[in-house]
Amino acid sequence: MRRLTALRLLLHDRSTTAGAILGVVAIVFLVGQQLAVLFGLLSYMTVLLDHSGADIWITSKNTDNINAIGTLPVRYINRIIGLPDIAWAEPMASGGGSVKRPDGEYQPVQVVGLARPRLTGGPWRFNQGSLEVLLDYDGLTLDQMDLNNLGNPKVNDILEVSDKKIRVSGITQRIRGFQGTLVFTNFQKAREITKLHPSRCSAILVKVKPGASVESVLAKIRIILPQAEATATPVLAQNTRRYYMVSTGIGSSFGFSTMIGAVVGIVIITLTMYTNVLNRLKDFAVLRALGARRRDILVVVLFQSLYISIVGILIGFLLLALFLSAVRDSRLPTHMFMWVPPLHAVLTILLSVAGSFLAMRKAMSVEPASAFR
Amino acid sequence: MAKSAIKLDGIVRDFYDGKSLRRVLQKTQLEFYTQELTIIAGSSGSGKTTLLTIMGLVLKPSEGKIFIDGQEVTDYSEDQLATLRMQKFGFVFQQAALIPALTVLENILISGSIQGASVPSSRKKSALKMLEDFGLQNYTDAKPQQLSVGQQQRVAIVRALINDPVLLLCDEPTSALDAESSTLVLDTLKRLSQDEKRGVVLVTHDPRVFPYADRLIKIEDGTVTSDTKSNF
Repeated sequence: MRRLTALRLLLHDRSTTAGAILGVVAIVFLVGQQLAVLFGLLSYMTVLLDHSGADIWITSKNTDNINAIGTLPVRYINRIIGLPDIAWAEPMASGGGSVKRPDGEYQPVQVVGLARPRLTGGPWRFNQGSLEVLLDYDGLTLDQMDLNNLGNPKVNDILEVSDKKIRVSGITQRIRGFQGTLVFTNFQKAREITKLHPSRCSAILVKVKPGASVESVLAKIRIILPQAEATATPVLAQNTRRYYMVSTGIGSSFGFSTMIGAVVGIVIITLTMYTNVLNRLKDFAVLRALGARRRDILVVVLFQSLYISIVGILIGFLLLALFLSAVRDSRLPTHMFMWVPPLHAVLTILLSVAGSFLAMRKAMSVEPASAFR
Repeated sequence: MAKSAIKLDGIVRDFYDGKSLRRVLQKTQLEFYTQELTIIAGSSGSGKTTLLTIMGLVLKPSEGKIFIDGQEVTDYSEDQLATLRMQKFGFVFQQAALIPALTVLENILISGSIQGASVPSSRKKSALKMLEDFGLQNYTDAKPQQLSVGQQQRVAIVRALINDPVLLLCDEPTSALDAESSTLVLDTLKRLSQDEKRGVVLVTHDPRVFPYADRLIKIEDGTVTSDTKSNF
């Protein structure tokens, strides 16, 4: 009967119940939206690493952020390719370029050049074409999201990128880097566009043979190439994310915004649940007079908080899902890991119960004698 | 045969009114029995409701002892008193005091289940039977707001009876009722008090209720001034 009483009291006081549910929805949506954008940004930061297919990246010394790398000699590949546990080692070129739009304006892009024929690290999702289009020396891919900014070119159109003529050979889908527009071409063309010296590259991507130890290959590479930085791909990804989260304002900014979202929700829940209890003090006094112990009253209010949490979580996640779906193909970076919603739901329930603390205390303090006044 | 339902031995109750300690109930020695309708009469502020709430284990006396079934319960914990209250007493409040969020049937059933026990089907059947006896069988799923004041008070009586209490404690149960409803409620309480397993204690300031009493206790300024078997 306690759970039924909790539900009935909520249904009876619809306006305060709706207010409390709104508080939970606020927590779920505001916090979830901030997390999704943060995770989206994090995924942009390491997009080349996450899809490189390589186990090890060799970069210029002291690289801790994949988006800020120097250059190194391509000949380093020759020094390591003979190691027995290495399956392949490919150079990559990465740098800035400018696309000339039909209106004469220039749009900055990040150019990524992939070694043929393996094209390792190449675009992984196409709207038109496939990875093979980059085998063409003059081929370039643009992303669907950027076509508008680049003058809406179509496949087979000729574009001018940093004064080099290049043909649009494919359109990728939702591939974006942290520094903005990502265009892919072959290694040689990228060096021309980014004016990278013919003997140098931006990074060397290394794949370890199946069953071989990445750590042991890393150790050997570090001995052979002490003047370069050899890092396992996941470690470099982690270092990149840490750099942005800690050294820039991104981490604290998102942390603050997320906290604000949670605080707003808790305040709404606290006020509405407390009002709810104040409206029902006589009822709680009668229940106490009939034999309810303080903990029975606590159970009633606790279940009210849980019911509100469940409904609020369902509505909040529905709104969040609609939001994420609506912005999926937009420029707003969003990403949600599978483990986040369940954890978010549990934390929301805890915050909701915490927000109901004052209401529970008030309800439990009701004396049965007040039923007789 | 009538038996003792509750015994109050030297009960005193003091209240702190913010400035000083005020004695609202003087030393009182009373015993209440089944098969008897006892009226505690007094003007407003005389201490009659305080006496009723002490009897109902809602308020703890400042001094004195309370015995139920020969067992002293004065120093029981709050939880123990709550459980004893649920088992032994039925309350009829001044204005029914039904929970507006619950249906009529739920208001009745919560009386024995508020501590978390499930509702046995026998209790539900018993509740429905009693509602029928009181002419309220068509209102089981209605909310209290849909009933008249008199009907609400009858539901409150059923709620008070559902746990088969030894003592029915009624705090001015007719003060909010019209004459016809008052008569109906008082007749019901009188009938219930004839049960050898049950007693009824009714607190009132209305002398028109006195004729229903088997026993009349008058209280004034916290002191019992008379305690007589009625000859009405």
